[in-house]
Amino acid sequence: MLEIKGVHAGYGNLKILRGIDMKVQTGGIVALLGGNGTGKSTLLKAISGLIPLMEGEVTFDGVSVSKLKPHERMRLGLVQVTQAKEAYPAMTVEENLVLGAYTRKDREATKADLQKVYDFFPVLRERRKQLSGTLSGGEVQMLVIGRGLMASPKMLMLDEPSAALAPKVVLEIFANINRIAKSGVTILVVEQNVRMALILAQYGYIIRDGVIMMQGEAKELISDPAVKESFLGGSVSDTTKALRN
Amino acid sequence: MGFDFNSLLAFIIFGVTIGVVYGIVALGISLIYSGLDIVHFAHGEMYMFGAFFGLVLAHNVGVPYPVALIGAMILTAILGMAVERVFYRRLTRAGGGYTVAGMGMIICGFGMSVALVNAAYFFFGAEAEPFRANLDYIPRLTFPGDINVPESYVLTAIISVLLMTGLHYFLRHTKTGLAVRAVAHNKDIAYLMGINVPLMISLIFGLACGLAAAAGVLIGPMQSVQVEMGYLMLMKAFAAAVVGGFGSLPGAILGGIMVGIFENLGAAYISASHKDIYAFLLLILVLMFRPSGLFGVEAKVKA
Repeated sequence: MLEIKGVHAGYGNLKILRGIDMKVQTGGIVALLGGNGTGKSTLLKAISGLIPLMEGEVTFDGVSVSKLKPHERMRLGLVQVTQAKEAYPAMTVEENLVLGAYTRKDREATKADLQKVYDFFPVLRERRKQLSGTLSGGEVQMLVIGRGLMASPKMLMLDEPSAALAPKVVLEIFANINRIAKSGVTILVVEQNVRMALILAQYGYIIRDGVIMMQGEAKELISDPAVKESFLGGSVSDTTKALRN
Repeated sequence: MGFDFNSLLAFIIFGVTIGVVYGIVALGISLIYSGLDIVHFAHGEMYMFGAFFGLVLAHNVGVPYPVALIGAMILTAILGMAVERVFYRRLTRAGGGYTVAGMGMIICGFGMSVALVNAAYFFFGAEAEPFRANLDYIPRLTFPGDINVPESYVLTAIISVLLMTGLHYFLRHTKTGLAVRAVAHNKDIAYLMGINVPLMISLIFGLACGLAAAAGVLIGPMQSVQVEMGYLMLMKAFAAAVVGGFGSLPGAILGGIMVGIFENLGAAYISASHKDIYAFLLLILVLMFRPSGLFGVEAKVKA
């Protein structure tokens, strides 16, 4: 569904991505993993079109989108869910959701989808008249995901859905992402929480210093010693040892 | 000489009416500020051009005053959008108001102001022209205590309320209004919602300049229309926007009304020859005690 070939991108003269190749098949969940400052968010911006490509090509659904503006890519069904802190705090929950369907002309179906999103996240229905700035972290995360769904996407890109959330809430959000994937939306999830993301996804890419360092089936990655070493932390006994010294 | 309550009331009524006009121009400045994070220093000239467009339409073309008002708003909106598209967009593309490009944008605004003033001298001449409008169908209000409110002031009050309600409805209850608010808050997210951001910025500019034109046509019959009228209006509207809290739309209107009342009372009871000082006195006082303005919010929660 999404194909990225030899993408170089960055800000001004600063090149951050140095030749990224990636593929997301239709259906299922792909995880893009890496620590802070490795280029995850930059890659996401390059895919959604917020920053221009310096080199390479992005193809979505068989169409090259490299030259398209962000709002044009979004209209093709390539929808990026923003980070949770990027809801519009001065708008109500419902206004945020309606904004997600901004490009759609099919009024009836949009209304039906709004109800679907409310059924999916009942807490949003309870809070629909509230300003989104008054929601809790988990609720805002549900709001931005719901807002993405309102665009009736073919593919949803999630930017760190677990950021700054309590582990229990993360579990709930990830269960919801899984449900969305089951309903037929392809998902690319960008995460720092490597363990959780690899449990959720079927396939994973690990990015470091602007290049793909490693890729493979999620099951294999999670048991790979190199991945364990750099992302999942040492074993429990190692941690205990370190504490005693 | 005893204190005359009736004349105080009269000064306040006139102050409010003039103040609402300041408020309308301040609304435009606030809209552009929330949309692009820049202060548009050529906005006074949009007001001046609006007044001249109205004058030409009413006198030379001969259309009735309300049609001239609407025509001037549309023409000025087109002028504003053209200026934005040709000159400002290159700068805003390089970054928002808080970047180096934002500084360039401010200077570009000043330059545009000078350019537009000189263009106006070329097209409209240097003479102050009276705006003769036939307003006989508007009732002249008489308040108890022999306070007569002329037609042009009554009309100004009516039109201003219509414009503000219209703008409020547009921003709060239409999909395009929602998109404008989204762009005002964060352009990147607006893009991801599929909003055509450059188009919305054009729209914001057009709206703001249309409002300024309305103010110009409304002030026309009260004062006269001349090329240098924009400068002082910009300053007063700017004071109004800051007093109300920069970027806040209700604040812009209330700030305008406060500036209008303050100015009229100052002119009446202190000294009429220093009329233009009082707006800035109020500005300084408000900034001393409430730096974010009366209705401003500390955090950047806009529109």
